[in-house]
Amino acid sequence: MSSLVIEMPAEGIAPTYAERLAALRGEKMAQTQEKWAVIGAMDYDDWALILPPPDAREVIQTISASGVPIVDVKMKGFAAESNHPNGDFFGPVAFGRNFRRLLEMHPVYIDPNSSLAGGYMVNFGSYRKSGWNPDFDYSHLHAAQRLYKLHTGIGGAQHFCHDLQIGLDLGWRGLLDKIAYYRTVNTDAKAQEFYDGLTDVVLGMQSWIGRTADAAAARAETEADPFQAANLREIAAINRRLVTEPPQTFREACQWMLWYQSAARMYNGSGALGRLDVLLQPYYERETAAGTLTDEEAIFHIACLLVRATDYIQLGGPDETGRDVTTPLSYLILEAGHRLKIPANIGVCVGETTDEGLLRRGLEVMFEDKTGIPKFLGVDNTVEGFARNGYPLELSRQRAYAGCHWLALPGREYTFNDMVKINFAVVFDVALRDMLADSSVQPSVAELWRRFEFHLRRAIDTLAQGFDFHIRHMHDVAPELVLDLLCYGPIERARDASSGGVDYYNCCVDGAALANAADSFAACEQRIEREGRLTWAELLAHLDADWAGPEGERVRLMMRSVPRFGSGGSLSDDHAQRLADLFTRLVKERRTPDGHQMVPGLFSWAMTIMMGKDAGATPDGRHAGAPIAQGANPMPGFRKDGAPTALAAAVAAVQPGYGNTAPMQLDLDPGLTRDEGGLEKVAGLIRGHFALGGTQINLNVMDKEKVLEANRDPSKYPDLVVRVTGFSAYFASLSPEFRQMVVDRLIAEG
Amino acid sequence: MDTNSSVSGVIFDIQRFSIHDGPGIRTTVFLKGCSLHCFWCHNPEGIRVKPEIRYDPARCINCGACVAVCTNGAHAIDAQGRHTYDRTKCLSCGLCVEECFTEALVLTGKTQTAEQVVAEVLRDRAFYETSGGGMTLSGGDPALQPAFSAEILARCKAEGLHTAIETAGNYPWANLAGLLPHIDLVMMDIKQMDAQRHRAATGVSNVRVLATAERLAVETDKPLLFRVPVVPGVNDADADIAAIAAHVRRLSQARRTAGRRAPITLELLAFHRLASQKYQSLGLDYRAANLEPPTEQRMRELRAIVADYLATD
Repeated sequence: MSSLVIEMPAEGIAPTYAERLAALRGEKMAQTQEKWAVIGAMDYDDWALILPPPDAREVIQTISASGVPIVDVKMKGFAAESNHPNGDFFGPVAFGRNFRRLLEMHPVYIDPNSSLAGGYMVNFGSYRKSGWNPDFDYSHLHAAQRLYKLHTGIGGAQHFCHDLQIGLDLGWRGLLDKIAYYRTVNTDAKAQEFYDGLTDVVLGMQSWIGRTADAAAARAETEADPFQAANLREIAAINRRLVTEPPQTFREACQWMLWYQSAARMYNGSGALGRLDVLLQPYYERETAAGTLTDEEAIFHIACLLVRATDYIQLGGPDETGRDVTTPLSYLILEAGHRLKIPANIGVCVGETTDEGLLRRGLEVMFEDKTGIPKFLGVDNTVEGFARNGYPLELSRQRAYAGCHWLALPGREYTFNDMVKINFAVVFDVALRDMLADSSVQPSVAELWRRFEFHLRRAIDTLAQGFDFHIRHMHDVAPELVLDLLCYGPIERARDASSGGVDYYNCCVDGAALANAADSFAACEQRIEREGRLTWAELLAHLDADWAGPEGERVRLMMRSVPRFGSGGSLSDDHAQRLADLFTRLVKERRTPDGHQMVPGLFSWAMTIMMGKDAGATPDGRHAGAPIAQGANPMPGFRKDGAPTALAAAVAAVQPGYGNTAPMQLDLDPGLTRDEGGLEKVAGLIRGHFALGGTQINLNVMDKEKVLEANRDPSKYPDLVVRVTGFSAYFASLSPEFRQMVVDRLIAEG
Repeated sequence: MDTNSSVSGVIFDIQRFSIHDGPGIRTTVFLKGCSLHCFWCHNPEGIRVKPEIRYDPARCINCGACVAVCTNGAHAIDAQGRHTYDRTKCLSCGLCVEECFTEALVLTGKTQTAEQVVAEVLRDRAFYETSGGGMTLSGGDPALQPAFSAEILARCKAEGLHTAIETAGNYPWANLAGLLPHIDLVMMDIKQMDAQRHRAATGVSNVRVLATAERLAVETDKPLLFRVPVVPGVNDADADIAAIAAHVRRLSQARRTAGRRAPITLELLAFHRLASQKYQSLGLDYRAANLEPPTEQRMRELRAIVADYLATD
């Protein structure tokens, strides 16, 4: 097991928290560099995974829980047991049993500098062979799914938020007791199978935690340094208790969360955490009042949690009654992220009644660290928007930030968040070709809009049928056994959260490439209809040829030079507005056939590059296969001065407004330090965006020269952290394409 | 205000999220035309009043579209198939720009009505409100298009925006007087206290500049921010900056003697060479090409001199 031994000061002097944190950071960097060597580029969340020791691992290609091809590492000596002729395993019994077996053989990880033990080393999903059980057939949807190149979410895992409060209240034994009780309530065979799966997860966790306690005790015996030995003994005692008992102290609560989040991450990639300041507040309050916990110690425990769990966290925001929940603890969590300077996903709520100081402190951290931490959550607009789906405000306020761009009701809502994407550039292309193949109509922008609407509605209908299909069968394919434990309903009803176990089903439908489609509509209107510089047939020929040849390049530049979405008051801005309105209307005009709500958003996540590869050349002058616009953002270079306010106004104008987000991605070298008023101006930009209806801001305050230098030679700045989209990552972890994407977005103010 | 007959003027840029031209987030409107000809000017496209063509050969793909529309033979394709541009034949009509999709040819300067300008400015109203920002008129020198500037400023004030102006001060007082009722902050350059040296650097004496500064200080109670572009050889000696600082201190004292209270401050800005490409594209000689920008250390030293004077104010 790798662990860093820091050089200790003279005997008798305890290391400071700062020294221990520096050692934890160093260990994290070493682990990350090992991953670069073994796995290569990682265009996704940092995830804090630790590689298994070299002799215990094998490297494989797989598909992530979000549908992205990745290189992954497996533990040697573990093979999943199959319960299907295709060699794969499906359903609660097999999932529970296999996961328990993996947990029971999972190595123990203890860093003697940390106050918390535990770290995960493999993805359970890597042991699956297929994403979906072939017994459940949806080939009737394939044609439309392929035509529109939809990201359907069928078979997609997690992307909703559990409620850690359940676990903090019950502990692992309490969860076992709860399962045992409901076994006697729901007695049918299918329910019993589900409970078997859940029970296995808990027993596996108890094994892992128990072995960690034993290992810590054993290491304490041989540890020469008295402080590390004492720390190891405390880790042993805490974890021995946590095998069964709910956490009693602040440190124990952090430790319990770390175990649970590690299990959830390992099981199927969940990184949802939610309102950490609210969850930890009772422990903090109790112990600071009793004088048994200092702020420095609290920051340290939180940092020990964050260094091993890069999960999504919301700070501040309203309680059910609308009162802001920001406390001093919210600041300490931010401070822990600040001191670590590693990838982290902390969101700060900004609204009418939120704490102004937390926004200010967040910006100070952002200007000082330049790590894209924190991000900013337009809580008033997401709360009011979610209520528009017919929910009371009291419920809406409970939705927590828990993933890249998304929120969910902790423990109560199943969402498909960030897994379902419609690429508007592809729908546009289908509509254009459909129109030009129909000799009975005169091509026009108006006709193109009619066709676009037809195909967009069909794409959404296809997704709706896919949601129902998934919800009907996911329980028997890949149930959410870890998240189920901390949801309201799955244990009680003996139904997986994916398949009826929770109260609310709000299926996320995200649009992407809004700018490409809007700019394409405008370019056609301007150059073909208004100016007559080009015919529809010529356009099609250029698209088919991907703008080849000198004339192709001239036409491409001509199409591209039509003022783009974001420039303000342009044709493209009008088309973007119309597209956003149409998309929202079509998603909300009906429910899925089984009656589930769908909720529109705009976000392409890290799939901006992959979805670009799916799309041929577009009339906005984009080459075939080139990246699409990011989420609701205009295309990079949409204005010569790149004005951030133009970006902020444009993204605010296309918000669907039903509680799911259309984040603004803003990468800014403000050319101003915080002391020169830069901080206040960026604060004004954030507040202005939210005042106009914005829902979320992924912000990087960057040093342009440093980023350009790091792009030329990533090894120069191994600890440079950037917010890639909704998630943050080491810049050097990204593939060259992703690094370029970040560089292209950067707006530098002179 | 008669909204049906908005005054027109010539501008060369409207820059949103302008963060160096006054408090908060601002939109800066750059008006074309200046009575000074500072050889280092950072905005050379703002000096002449009429629209001009900027040409960047690096962006040209030699497609010849400009040749086809030019009525005066300014554009041609030579025997090697390469585009050539004869600026002496150019009427700056802009027809070629309409055809140039690579943006090798760009028209700098366009005529707009004050109403159109303000409509663009208002796009960022939300950000002015959240940051304490507003609209800044810059240039060129906006006081050289007084009717146009007055209407833009008045319309912005009517919309409740904070307004500022950046001016060089070299004009009859009447040019500025009509604008003042609609201005919240005046930013004005003082480049050199010595009249001869001022003329050598800018082409004009500083007599009217200093007269404008004096009247602004004594006859108005507008917050005044004097700005000095620190340019090597022009005003970067200790004595140059000390003379300006001493003058600003006198103005400040005169304002108080006149019973006025609004602050007068002085800010030093370092010369830079970022405008180099603009000179090339406008076919202008860039005489500051070999000037070294002042170092950060030198700027700190000069700012310390300013601080000394204003501290003893």
